[in-house]
Amino acid sequence: MTFADKRFAVGDHVHVLDLGKPGHVRIPMYIRHHTGRVVQYCGKYLNPEDLSVGRTEGPAVDLYRVVFAQSDLWSDDPVAPNDMLVIEIYDHWLERA
Amino acid sequence: MTKGYHDIGGESAGTIPKEELPWLHWEKQVEAIRNLLGDGTRRIVSLDEMRRGFESFGEEKYKKYSFYRRRLEAMIDILVEKGVITRAELDRAINWRRPEWERAAAEGALDTSNGKGPR
Amino acid sequence: MAHDHADHHDALIVEDDEGNLEGQIVIDALRDVLIEKGLLTAQEVTAEIAKLEAPGIHQGAKIVAKAWTDPDYKRRLLEDGKSCIQEIGIAVGEARIIVVENTEAVHNLITCTLCSCYPRSILGQPPSWYISKAYRARTVREPRAVLKEFGTELGENVDVIVHDSNADMRYLVLPQAPADVTDLSTEDLEALVTRDHLVGVTR
Repeated sequence: MTFADKRFAVGDHVHVLDLGKPGHVRIPMYIRHHTGRVVQYCGKYLNPEDLSVGRTEGPAVDLYRVVFAQSDLWSDDPVAPNDMLVIEIYDHWLERA
Repeated sequence: MTKGYHDIGGESAGTIPKEELPWLHWEKQVEAIRNLLGDGTRRIVSLDEMRRGFESFGEEKYKKYSFYRRRLEAMIDILVEKGVITRAELDRAINWRRPEWERAAAEGALDTSNGKGPR
Repeated sequence: MAHDHADHHDALIVEDDEGNLEGQIVIDALRDVLIEKGLLTAQEVTAEIAKLEAPGIHQGAKIVAKAWTDPDYKRRLLEDGKSCIQEIGIAVGEARIIVVENTEAVHNLITCTLCSCYPRSILGQPPSWYISKAYRARTVREPRAVLKEFGTELGENVDVIVHDSNADMRYLVLPQAPADVTDLSTEDLEALVTRDHLVGVTR
């Protein structure tokens, strides 16, 4: 899959927004406001925020797998220094870090 | 923005309950019917609509009901919301089904693991 | 009425007999109404249940054994899980399957914090602990403690990568091959692979 028309490329540092959207969203609270690095572009998918209210016409949105340092996500915890977490984030929840 | 009651990543919780529970017949029916209602020919209830259902039907229900019961109740909520069925129709069907199942349960003839009961 | 599973507080909510009876009555009634409206048939429900029950760990084991013995397959599997899994005769319903590889230095663990996403079309239904609040809540924050509860203790030389299946991808862990992989038959290799390996709670 090419990155030609994508906002982010593998290796880009990205910041997860807290869009404050009510209703069904798939971006858990624990990952919001954190900065990670894109590890994979997953393709375009219908936005679950639309699907949850029966809107199936799209548009499809870019989805990325993003890696975060556990030590950043849980900075108050004694976590192993190199442990990581990977999660999928839709394009509109990301900004360049 | 307050955190949804389903959004539990990072919360403290007890020991992992490692026992393996059987997948009961009614639970299989819930999954099968939701899959059928969401398939390409029907498109009546999508997975994300059902999720919205149990993420918004209230914390009390969410914490009271098991995984499959949540999905069942949420599927019903969405079907009613979309006007596919009415509560009255479902209640009539429940009232019609209830006596035979309760009789089977009272006689010890109900096996929820395979749905064996009145047929 | 449901009740919290004994001794686990709200870690896993299961229905008691009354709740199971109620679930059975309500789903039968819902099926009746949907059939009456011509939206589905009893035969379709029976066939769909059979379809849900068909997948299982044996399919995951087949994928892993193939990857252990065929380096080219493994390389392609890690790039494009879905097509490589379909290629060996396993139907995949999910949009994409991401296969993550355990190595000497890396251990992968799969979870879903928001609900209980799982590669169902390949492995069948998730185990009850996977859908428990305890597993969903704790895996992302204290994976090593969770792993320890499954008897998997990792040293400092092994990094843990937790994968939260929150959106459209579904995940499978490719465990490390046994040292004597070349001496074993495909059947023996498949027998080594458990569901716990594929989720990553076992190394």
